[in-house]
Amino acid sequence: MIVDAVYEAYDDASINDPAGQIDAIYCGSLYSKSGPVEVSEALKLYKPLTSVMNYCATGTEAVRAAAMSIAAGVYETVLVVGYDKPKDRGVSGPTVNISDVRGLPATPAGWFAVCAQPYFEKYGAGKEHLAKIAVKNHYNGSLAPKSFLKKRISVEEAMNGRMISWPFGLYDCAAQTDGCAAVILTRADQARSYRDNPVYIKGIGSGCAPDPNRDPTFDFRRWKPTENAAREAYAMAGVSNPAKEIHLAQVHDCFTLTELLSYEDLGFIEKGEAKNYIDDGYFELDGGLPVNTDGGLKAFGHPTGASGVRMMVENVLQLQKRAGERSIRRDATLALSHNIGGFPTGCAVAILGIER
Amino acid sequence: MMVGVETAACCIPYRRLSLPVIRGGRNDAAAPERAVAWFDEDSITMAVEAARQCLAYAQWPDIDGLILASTSSPYDEKQGASIVARALNLPSHVSTMDVAQSLRAGTTAIQYAVAAVKSGEMKRVLVLASDERAVAPGSPGEIDLGDGAVALLIGADDVKLALSGSRSTNNEMMDVWRRSGDRYLHSWEDRFIKKHGYQHVLVSAVREFCESYRCEVKDFSRVCLYAPDPRSHKTAVSELNVAKECVQDPFFGRVGNIGVGAALLQLVAAFESLNVGDRILLASYGDGADVLAFELVSAPPSHATVPRALERRKPVLRYQDFLSAKGLQHSEYADADYQGISATVQYRNAKENLGLVGQRCKSCDTHQFPRGRVCGQCGEKDSWEEVCYSRDFARLLTYTKDAFFPAPEPPTLAGIVEVERHSVDGGKSRGPRMHIQVAECEKDALRCGMQLKFVFRCIHRAGKRPNYFWKCVPIDERESQAV
Repeated sequence: MIVDAVYEAYDDASINDPAGQIDAIYCGSLYSKSGPVEVSEALKLYKPLTSVMNYCATGTEAVRAAAMSIAAGVYETVLVVGYDKPKDRGVSGPTVNISDVRGLPATPAGWFAVCAQPYFEKYGAGKEHLAKIAVKNHYNGSLAPKSFLKKRISVEEAMNGRMISWPFGLYDCAAQTDGCAAVILTRADQARSYRDNPVYIKGIGSGCAPDPNRDPTFDFRRWKPTENAAREAYAMAGVSNPAKEIHLAQVHDCFTLTELLSYEDLGFIEKGEAKNYIDDGYFELDGGLPVNTDGGLKAFGHPTGASGVRMMVENVLQLQKRAGERSIRRDATLALSHNIGGFPTGCAVAILGIER
Repeated sequence: MMVGVETAACCIPYRRLSLPVIRGGRNDAAAPERAVAWFDEDSITMAVEAARQCLAYAQWPDIDGLILASTSSPYDEKQGASIVARALNLPSHVSTMDVAQSLRAGTTAIQYAVAAVKSGEMKRVLVLASDERAVAPGSPGEIDLGDGAVALLIGADDVKLALSGSRSTNNEMMDVWRRSGDRYLHSWEDRFIKKHGYQHVLVSAVREFCESYRCEVKDFSRVCLYAPDPRSHKTAVSELNVAKECVQDPFFGRVGNIGVGAALLQLVAAFESLNVGDRILLASYGDGADVLAFELVSAPPSHATVPRALERRKPVLRYQDFLSAKGLQHSEYADADYQGISATVQYRNAKENLGLVGQRCKSCDTHQFPRGRVCGQCGEKDSWEEVCYSRDFARLLTYTKDAFFPAPEPPTLAGIVEVERHSVDGGKSRGPRMHIQVAECEKDALRCGMQLKFVFRCIHRAGKRPNYFWKCVPIDERESQAV
């Protein structure tokens, strides 16, 4: 997987001498068995090697660390590889951690579900709105050649899925799978020497917040890490009105509710408005702000460390109008991608732009 | 010096298994049933629950000793009383002891507690009798055995039920036994063991007691007799000529024979229903017999714990659920036979996990659980006061129902609660927030804002040993009024 993704990236950037052209490698993996050496050995590319981990935000965090190394003037061209093989861990789903007695059940579905009831009660949204997100992402995934799940589903199927952790049924949960994604970063002033239509990192930020299970000020209707990461990324990219300036987004739909909250936490719409926009199809491929155009974690799949990098690959393809059947209908020059992970406690947001 | 019971309480598990369900049929509310410790309960958690109630009625006095009587401790070597003491957040100087091996252990513990108080060595001793009965599924006596615990606070200061006499006999006999390593009870031929064992030993012990104290069975307003089964109870009652109105209900068909606590549960029920001056005779059996006499010297408590515990019940609807709860059902989940939680981690977390102890920041008053060094609100370092939250109430802020987490009875109800601290002057303050499981609640009854209380439970058995922490359960109407 690492070789497939990285060699495709080499081709895309017209790199024919990796050992000569790449200065360093940044790796992102949550379930790595032996660390970043897995990447250098797969590629037989022996360059300064860095491993980055921040739960499900790992992919974006690896790109962020690589971008900072270029911004700092240390390297010129850097390879970023996000990868994970969760299916090698010997469990069929997320690990159920029983190394302690507190905080159980420690399942991701349970952690991300705690915003459901308070949000539903205050804003009147419900399971049907979550279902519509699942239907959209399954549809988009069916158009993406490299997605994991290509089955389209109906709202009824999504509503009647086997219960995982209320209100999340099977179709509210991302499909965890193996995968890898790679991007090659270089100095902005050199980008055109690799290809004619480079995509620029306009802003890339990270946000952290207290454990929501203990935070005495938390209202269970948002994810604070998203708000914090977005603030940093928007400031860096000079975005003052994301609702207007962001044209498409890949957001972390580990669970359908995470996508719903992200619409609001990222400032695409006002808090509490998601249900109306979902009903109007605003986030669909032909909508005002298409979200998860390749199926997202839900249908494209969630190989944890790869997801954030995969989102950037998708945004690059959309901005360069190379997304084929799943191309968005509107014109887009600024795209956002978003990862959130932990309990959740960490988030990273990247904003990519193209010049036309 | 008058020594005896100051306060008493019982813990009868919420779940009841009825005879029709044991036989593979549908539950029938009118059929005989037994109390069942559920998958997150064992002799330790039931002892903790009974102890918490008993000490709460006495307004949490200082105690010098804690005796745990049980034949079903999760450990052959390792004390149960010290686990209970940690869960009760008792100081380390409290003397702890386990009395085990015989169903007489509960009355024996009372005798030793009374002796310790009489001698002046100790002022107050908490006696706990708790058992989860090891009955083989499908065996004839399955309906007769039950699970439960009793707590008695023994002292000399505020005695309500004075011990007026006590006598023991010992008797070696292979009637009922469990060898080391056995999971279930074995017994010899029924007629033989009842005739030469239970009936003979118990009845003789009561007669000898009466002789030595120059009294008669008819002098007692209530007679509490341990019995292995309802028939044996009837026989003993008739041999001792106990008047009908003086027979204490042994709770067969409702709770079952709860082992070391069986006779003591009868004692607590009698204590809660009699009047000043009434006398109670109690006899327990197991490799001999203990006979104890009590006199009610002050008004019985206004709170009656036994009727309330009998009332609070939920029937088990399928025998298969009972088997799952007792770990007797095959499941897709891996056996918890690996090493389990690191003992180092357990040592480090003992206060939090067993005592539900967190901390309050001395600078900004914010509570934090689990403990840490830096305050999450004001940033002050190492400025803490330890606080125990197990006696506080909690409010449910949000919840989920996790069907993915391995459990005998999915979904596991879990949520985030905020501890509500109630001070003596009626003031209310915010405690810490915790991610915690909710037990003994219907999954559709969960509501944001509902009030809960803490109960000590076994969370899982990784390492094939019980790993305890706390859960929350809904509070009932009465407790809600108190809040």
